[in-house]
Amino acid sequence: MIYLDNGATSYPKPRQVEQAVAQAFKYNGANPGRSGSEMAVRTGDAIYNCRKNAANFFRADGPECVVFQPSCTYALNTVIKGVLKPGDNVVVSDLEHNAVMRPLYKLRSQGVTITVARTFMGNNDLTLNSFRKAMAKRTKLVVCTHASNVFGIRLPVERIAALAHMYGAKICVDAAQSAGVLPIDIQDSSIDYLCVPGHKGLYGPMGTGLLILREGDVIDTLIEGGTGSRSRIHTQPEDPPERYESGTLNVPGIMGLNAGLNFVRGMGIQKIYSHEMSLISWLNSRLSNMPGISLYTGRHSAGFFVPVLALNIDGMPSERAGEFLARRDISVRCGLHCAPAAHEAMGTREGVIRVSPSVFSTRRDMEFLAESLNQLRTMR
Amino acid sequence: MNRPLILLSSITYAMKARDLLWNMGFRAYIERVARNRDTGCGYAVYVPDNTDMAEQILDQEGFKILGRAPRGGYDI
Repeated sequence: MIYLDNGATSYPKPRQVEQAVAQAFKYNGANPGRSGSEMAVRTGDAIYNCRKNAANFFRADGPECVVFQPSCTYALNTVIKGVLKPGDNVVVSDLEHNAVMRPLYKLRSQGVTITVARTFMGNNDLTLNSFRKAMAKRTKLVVCTHASNVFGIRLPVERIAALAHMYGAKICVDAAQSAGVLPIDIQDSSIDYLCVPGHKGLYGPMGTGLLILREGDVIDTLIEGGTGSRSRIHTQPEDPPERYESGTLNVPGIMGLNAGLNFVRGMGIQKIYSHEMSLISWLNSRLSNMPGISLYTGRHSAGFFVPVLALNIDGMPSERAGEFLARRDISVRCGLHCAPAAHEAMGTREGVIRVSPSVFSTRRDMEFLAESLNQLRTMR
Repeated sequence: MNRPLILLSSITYAMKARDLLWNMGFRAYIERVARNRDTGCGYAVYVPDNTDMAEQILDQEGFKILGRAPRGGYDI
């Protein structure tokens, strides 16, 4: 199979991730943070090691700033619903995923107002200006994707963070398509809340995600329950990370994620980015010479994009193209990618074919895809 | 009475405290504190020697210390 749907989840996973998950089942079967048995403490240590690793990876202040979540979507919900209260305003980009927009639409019915800032592909100054115009006195939070999950457009989140702070607001960044592909330094970039999937660019198992906190500020909780400590107290503990982690953790997933972090660090983020961008650039260039194929983002210049390419065969629904490619054992993602707002902004309301490679993708994969698309366009 | 357990707010902070103390030359181990009259169960770092000094260091480093306890005690 030629798997080019790594924007949804990466496949295959590195062998060390598989091994770490298997090891968790065999040697880390006790519940971490719930007892004092040797295996429970050993498992607690394994969890703690992943916290340290992730803190180091994103340069968070310490392991207590790393909150395990079941997904990036869950992390976004934790922040959005934990920070915003009726009467608050939130600013978002026009490229946001439903993981951001649906929680916000729900809060809108409770009195939160939403302002959408237009983005300008390849022009960060104009994008920043757009965010500046969107900011208001009541703006409590800016929620912004680091890179569009459909078009790969990268937003200047560091500059947007500085702007948000000037207005006394916090910033939450959706790193669904950037974590593991772009270097993210939560201290330098001043991102308050970084939401990360564990199973995409970090190559961990599905069902893993991270919320990285820059400061130890306390936000409201999405769920409450057992945290393994201070159990006589009726209220949720104040301290992160346990405050946001009620219930038993996904130990096999977290241990796999730890191995994924090590894999990415070992490969080198810059090397991963360069490899994937070279594949997308080649494909972009090849397809731009084919009449009947629409591309939406021009040349993918480094720094302004992540390796994700959107395209269409003219006159053909993306899903139909996807079916044809699936019969050739090529896996891409077609349709709206849970990001109707981004499609609205880019004028692709009927959807697109999205190509998203991984570190394991090859030039041969791209050549076969290009050849298949070439055949498909002539069959219209 | 010897009280070598330094009670901390969570297992994460207990492990962070353990790492810090080891790096400073202390012997420090994680221990489950089974029950506490006020707060319920939790985690502590067991420091067999120079516990007072270890506690002082953790306090200076900003750790929220919930108290001290003897080993193996219930309803401390």
